[in-house]
Amino acid sequence: MSMFGGMEISATALTAQRLRMNVTAENLANAQTTKGVDGQPYRRKEVVLQSVPQGGGFGSQLNAAMGSSGVAPGGVQVASIAEDQTNGKLVYDPGHPDADAQGYVRMPNVDTVTEMVDLIDSQRAYEANVTAMSASKQMFAKTLDLLR
Amino acid sequence: MLFDTTQLALERSISGASQRHDALAANIANATTPGYKRVDVDFHGALNAALGSSDARDAVQRTAFSTQVDQSVGATQADGDTIDIDAESAKLAANALDQEAAVSVAKTRIAILRSAMGIG
Repeated sequence: MSMFGGMEISATALTAQRLRMNVTAENLANAQTTKGVDGQPYRRKEVVLQSVPQGGGFGSQLNAAMGSSGVAPGGVQVASIAEDQTNGKLVYDPGHPDADAQGYVRMPNVDTVTEMVDLIDSQRAYEANVTAMSASKQMFAKTLDLLR
Repeated sequence: MLFDTTQLALERSISGASQRHDALAANIANATTPGYKRVDVDFHGALNAALGSSDARDAVQRTAFSTQVDQSVGATQADGDTIDIDAESAKLAANALDQEAAVSVAKTRIAILRSAMGIG
């Protein structure tokens, strides 16, 4: 952990949550896309997050030398962007160019309500991390204030 | 001895608050990570133990804080995550105040020393 460990941890989360928001936006944008890049209906994408240990910096070396043990607090990273493999619902629309022989169109498996909830979740998580980051900044400023 | 045990304890307290802040920031960062277990630093406990020992000055100087996985809380979310973002935010704010208090007191004590030395 470097001197700015707390800020780096918050920064990893900001990156991850922003990507989550982008993926949710993509899902919402493609809620009616019956022809994706592979010619199949669009499948909703989901971000898989995992925690990543941080360490090896000056701070962690110092803490280890001081006899500190325990786990290294880590940030978060996007492990993968997975596709939801469930099938979307069938909609009867015989005039649609993608309709099958019976007149049904396979819609994307995007549920707009789920996506909106995800969007709010990532937005709130983003805000929480911004707050944590500004708290880090204030703490560094207070510590530096000792020098004045 | 220019710096007494209290001053050393304040210094270690600032360091401990900084380490705890990293841990709490990591918890907030991983609020949406499935299966993440919250971590915390009990620097108050470690410092208290050091201050209560027979050679407090030496013990305080040697105090090291360790970041530990918090086993006391069960899962708060369906994905096994043990993070309650409201509780973490509250702890983060309280910890920042802890640090600010220690810095203020340390700063004032240094100011008193300076004034005693005639350089304030």
